[in-house]
Amino acid sequence: MNMLPGPAQAAAIGLSIAFPLLLLCYARIAATGGSGRRFRLGCVSILALYAIVCIALPGQRHLDDVLGGLLLLGTAMMFCYILFSLLAWGFTLTLLTALVQAERPLTLEQWAEAYMQGGDLGTFTHNRLKLLVGAGMVITAGDRLAPTAKGVAVARLVRLVRLSTGLG
Amino acid sequence: MSFAVGLVAVVVFALLAPALQLMARARSWSLGPVTLLAIAAVVSHGLGVTLGIFVIPQFQYWDAASVFGFCVMAYVFAFGAVYKSVSLDILLSLVERPGRRAPLSEIAERQVPDLFRGRIGNLVDGGLVEPVNSNFVATAAGRTMAGQVGRLRRAFGIGDTSLYDFSD
Repeated sequence: MNMLPGPAQAAAIGLSIAFPLLLLCYARIAATGGSGRRFRLGCVSILALYAIVCIALPGQRHLDDVLGGLLLLGTAMMFCYILFSLLAWGFTLTLLTALVQAERPLTLEQWAEAYMQGGDLGTFTHNRLKLLVGAGMVITAGDRLAPTAKGVAVARLVRLVRLSTGLG
Repeated sequence: MSFAVGLVAVVVFALLAPALQLMARARSWSLGPVTLLAIAAVVSHGLGVTLGIFVIPQFQYWDAASVFGFCVMAYVFAFGAVYKSVSLDILLSLVERPGRRAPLSEIAERQVPDLFRGRIGNLVDGGLVEPVNSNFVATAAGRTMAGQVGRLRRAFGIGDTSLYDFSD
């Protein structure tokens, strides 16, 4: 068994380790925008660096080495995105931080208010609905909500994924 | 050939992971879904490497690991997306209703507060929050976790509202 990665794979492992560090650096540059935009910028930067490394490395390139490196980079990006999105958009985690920041016991209603930083759960509902409406999965007609054909297809896909991953 | 061994390990993972989730639910195991995914990943990766060593004379570990890592992370990504997404819960509830329509007020006043209560239940079950009379207070473990989350959010320049920023 050969445990040594190829040159491109070794570069991809290095870039995978550098990826969160790059996100830390981008967080200090205001021009990089909000969380989502900064993450996308980080992904593009790392892929560009990988392309440069693949061109600049001496010797002949092997397809399996380059492909393996690309897959390793993809793995690191998805791993970081899962953690990043949990920090940025995690509902349960933010509930916990809101309770701790309040520094006193809260009733359910007070907790909801602290979570929304003065707003209410209606604001939260509208924020999540804006995502569904913006993605073309739900339409609003007056006070009523209805899924679009795309929304129904996504819902079926979600059910299939839940079933096939054992979530039922 | 090493890539193919990685794919065989992916198939093992895709069969083992849902089987573990179903068994955990049927037998009331105390292990969480993420722990079960980690166990499935370690076992299937170990089996894949063992297979590679015995079947391929020049087994390239990183070729197999790259395709395995990428596919498993994509699985975890999909699993995480459907596991506890508030937006997808709203979409599914819309699709499952007769007539596939619902008043916005019902989502805002019933479904989202129910989700809110469900997540509080998760925090209480996880020992991060405890109910005191009619109030909720963070436990020592909850305060520690909230502190770590806050530090990570500050380091990565992430806000603490968990709302989607559509200006991104």
